[in-house]
Amino acid sequence: MATNTSTKGSFWSRYRTWIIVAGIVLFLPPLSLLFQMTADSNFCGSWCPRMFFTWRKGMSIHEFLLGFLRSYMGVALVVGILASTFFLGRAWCSHLCPIGGTMELGSRIVPRWLKIDFSSIPASPFRYGYLAVYLIASAVGLGSLCCNYCNFATVPRVFGAAFLDADLMYFLRTAGLINLGLVVVLGFLSKGGRAYCNLLCPVGALDALSNRLGLRFGRKMRVDAAQCDSCGACSKVCPTWSISVHSAATIDHLSCMPCRQCEKVCPKNAIAYGRPA
Amino acid sequence: MTKKIVVFLVAVGISLVAAVHRWDDSGHAIGLIKAKGGEARHPVSLGSGNDRYMLIATAAVVPPYSGNARVELKGETQIPYTIDVARPVVDLGIRHLPRFSDGTLHDLRPHDRVALWVKMNPPKADPVCGMACEEGYERADYRGKTYCFCGEGCRKAFEQDPEKYRDRDGLRGNYTLAFTDTKTGRPVLNVPIRFTGKGGTGDGNEHQH
Repeated sequence: MATNTSTKGSFWSRYRTWIIVAGIVLFLPPLSLLFQMTADSNFCGSWCPRMFFTWRKGMSIHEFLLGFLRSYMGVALVVGILASTFFLGRAWCSHLCPIGGTMELGSRIVPRWLKIDFSSIPASPFRYGYLAVYLIASAVGLGSLCCNYCNFATVPRVFGAAFLDADLMYFLRTAGLINLGLVVVLGFLSKGGRAYCNLLCPVGALDALSNRLGLRFGRKMRVDAAQCDSCGACSKVCPTWSISVHSAATIDHLSCMPCRQCEKVCPKNAIAYGRPA
Repeated sequence: MTKKIVVFLVAVGISLVAAVHRWDDSGHAIGLIKAKGGEARHPVSLGSGNDRYMLIATAAVVPPYSGNARVELKGETQIPYTIDVARPVVDLGIRHLPRFSDGTLHDLRPHDRVALWVKMNPPKADPVCGMACEEGYERADYRGKTYCFCGEGCRKAFEQDPEKYRDRDGLRGNYTLAFTDTKTGRPVLNVPIRFTGKGGTGDGNEHQH
């Protein structure tokens, strides 16, 4: 049970939307500020956080390690995400990720009647089924999910396509259109805007493991069962459908990211972000 | 628990189908630009029969090479193509970026990386011999599709067994995205591209010309 000191008014809670916007401005076109530090223009290249940890059949160890060098900023990003998640929860996903952030902000302007509720899908089994194929299919030479289905490649080009033919070209092919469809359906049109993150993000899947492993040590969203009256308000606003309510609300830390939506709506202040009691 | 296992298996099934299926209208090549000639890591294989293809060619410049490199799509048949280079929308001038204009990468320097988007619009081909369709070629319709023939021999061969040649009107064969140093004329990177499909790669030899 958590020592329930409300963190509703904290900087990270109050200004989350603006922090997401800052991440989008820093990472995505037209500015792409962080990418320009390494002579890149998007996540494809030295910032790719997904390709380096996939082993392709026939690959030598030397080639595998070269992938780490080629995506050195992506490696640093993933290591940083996993380490910070262990201690602070999935703050990257909830506050900083410009890809998930774009989909979430986009979903906020979609009318409610158009939204699709994916919460009937158990997220963790689906996510790890996807991750298993993501890692194994290329290792045994069956094919690849990496690059072919990637919202990190798609979302920056949604922004860039308005300015550059090279980014527009991404969508002039079947794979580009399918990726756009996935981003629209599982992002913009999904209730909460985070279905893609919750079901198909391989980095998110690894990050969720780090979150679960750090549960006993780090800061996470925690429920004070003694204060919870099982009203279910938290469950309704959770974008990753990670809260179930029985005698009290319980949080699935394989899906939870500290977006603090649940904390904001809890009438009993039974949910807070913090260390275990 | 049963529901979770079922969902896991469904996710594995859907993901496997997605992983195994190849979208054959686009490909990605990774290569190294070297003074003595670089090669792409593996050839790009594209399925013939589409009107439009997209090749993403990314390459890093290996020291000591520096210079300008002309980029051209070379092959037996001329394929109309355009090339665009990925770059920041607003260049803040933080790092050096090679320029691309007039089909040439200008001012390539060691450790530079480039990403080119090559849009190719290959012409339709004679389904019998594989030659690219030209104006003046004979035409024939079969099952709602118009096919072209380089001559009488190919048209007759098609008419005798149209099912054999059906949908073989996509251009096939081997092509190269060639990066050539403009000063020395030497190749600095070759990216092999194969248009494969019904009838195999470059099988325009059933009927000898």
